[in-house]
Amino acid sequence: MRNFALVHRLSGIALALFLPLHFWALGQALQGEARLESFLRWTDQPLVKASEWAIVLLLAIHLTGGVRILMIEFLPWRDWQKTLAAVVAATALAIGLLFALSSVAHAQGWPQKSVRFIVPFPPGGATDISARMVGQKLTEIWGQTVVIENRGGAGGGVGAAEAARAAPDGYTLFFPSGSVMTANQHIYAKMSYDPEKDFVPVTNVVSGPQVLVVAANAPYKSVQELIDAARAQPGRLTFGHAGIGSQTHLAAENFVNAAGVNAVQVPYKGEGPSLVGLVGGDTTFAVTNVAAAIGYIGSGRLRALGVTSKTEFAQLPGVPAIAKTLPGFENTGWFGIVAPTGTSKDIIQKVYLDTKKALESTEMRARLYVQGLAPVGNTPEEMGAAMKAETALWARVVRERKIKVE
Amino acid sequence: MNFRTQSLLWTAQRASAAVLGLCVVVHLATMIYAVRGGLTAAEILARTQGSAAWFAFYSIFVLAIVVHVPIGLRAVLGEWLGWRSPSRDAVLVLLAAVIGWMGMRAILGVFS
Repeated sequence: MRNFALVHRLSGIALALFLPLHFWALGQALQGEARLESFLRWTDQPLVKASEWAIVLLLAIHLTGGVRILMIEFLPWRDWQKTLAAVVAATALAIGLLFALSSVAHAQGWPQKSVRFIVPFPPGGATDISARMVGQKLTEIWGQTVVIENRGGAGGGVGAAEAARAAPDGYTLFFPSGSVMTANQHIYAKMSYDPEKDFVPVTNVVSGPQVLVVAANAPYKSVQELIDAARAQPGRLTFGHAGIGSQTHLAAENFVNAAGVNAVQVPYKGEGPSLVGLVGGDTTFAVTNVAAAIGYIGSGRLRALGVTSKTEFAQLPGVPAIAKTLPGFENTGWFGIVAPTGTSKDIIQKVYLDTKKALESTEMRARLYVQGLAPVGNTPEEMGAAMKAETALWARVVRERKIKVE
Repeated sequence: MNFRTQSLLWTAQRASAAVLGLCVVVHLATMIYAVRGGLTAAEILARTQGSAAWFAFYSIFVLAIVVHVPIGLRAVLGEWLGWRSPSRDAVLVLLAAVIGWMGMRAILGVFS
């Protein structure tokens, strides 16, 4: 009996110390406009997690003693009956509390091991560059390594299929370019993944325009010269791209269509290989992501003829917008994170918030700027709505241009 | 301190304990429902904001703590440290005010 009272008092003193601290920290976290983000960061602190567990255990101990004291005072039971009843009541409560907190800890504790980003293209392309940049920053934030796994092929379909089959535990995330999620389903007659059913949106990470490039030793010095050459030799000029249905394929098809010329498409396994082919003289031109081409342009191996943004692009000074030659022409690529369907909403929310946080850093913004990319970091809901709208757009474009893979 | 006050504190201590027991169970059920139901922190906050019922419930929770903790500590300070002077009660009233203020601040953060 004395032991029960002593334990009850000691646990009560500890709770009296913990609870005000808990209230104070919670109140601090919930102040200000960015309170949701600060609340989530707060719940993710190791000290907060430890204090939550401490409070649960102390509550269970304190209630055991308290229930027993109430029974002694109010119920005419024998001593051992009261002790047994108190222990049973406290055990049931402790199990319930631990069960509830383990659920919270499951989401709060993610990630406990390395997280893999499946990139559906080989290294060297804009998707790969974007994934590696944000992956490096998320590694710092999470304290767990983000591993980039390149799975090229079928316009991103090979990597998408592997990501779709992965366990929805948050440890496999998919980092596609936009077309893999919004265009492939209209192009490929058979698909081993369903962009809408197999994945849920997390956040659009970056977006950026593309650039029309030719090899440095090519005779074309402007967009108009390339168009004239294509008109003079219908079907002779070729363009390389990252795979059927990829953003670089659709961007080039968009350009060819707008220019009213005929050119032959050459699919590669990724943007990187397609640029190697262009530098080597295997193809005539490419409409590729700035991030993938900027290194080649800077080193003088590729010549930039025009950018797909509405106006001149700051990172490529002196390169005119294609719209100056083809009024109204515009094309933008994007790269984002989606998760296998069934992934916990808390994990999705955390990935979104941490990616947004990563994109807000000055260092990250500077690195993206150099690569010709702009940070996005929209919410899962906004990304879902944008993908839906883009899917409808590509459905129409693919149908009109008769792009099909059987 | 007279018998009547002692009796009042004893009753308040037991009554607040009973309220706290109930509040812990409700809070626990809410946590299980929210977490197991897959609600995100954003969705939880969206549901709690502007809800008078949850505001009232958690206010009662904090009030019960404000009553229960100082009375418990009062007995501990008196019996273990021999501190029975009026200054003890003044310190405990201050502690109750601080706990109440912090608790309500946290609740307002969740509900406003």
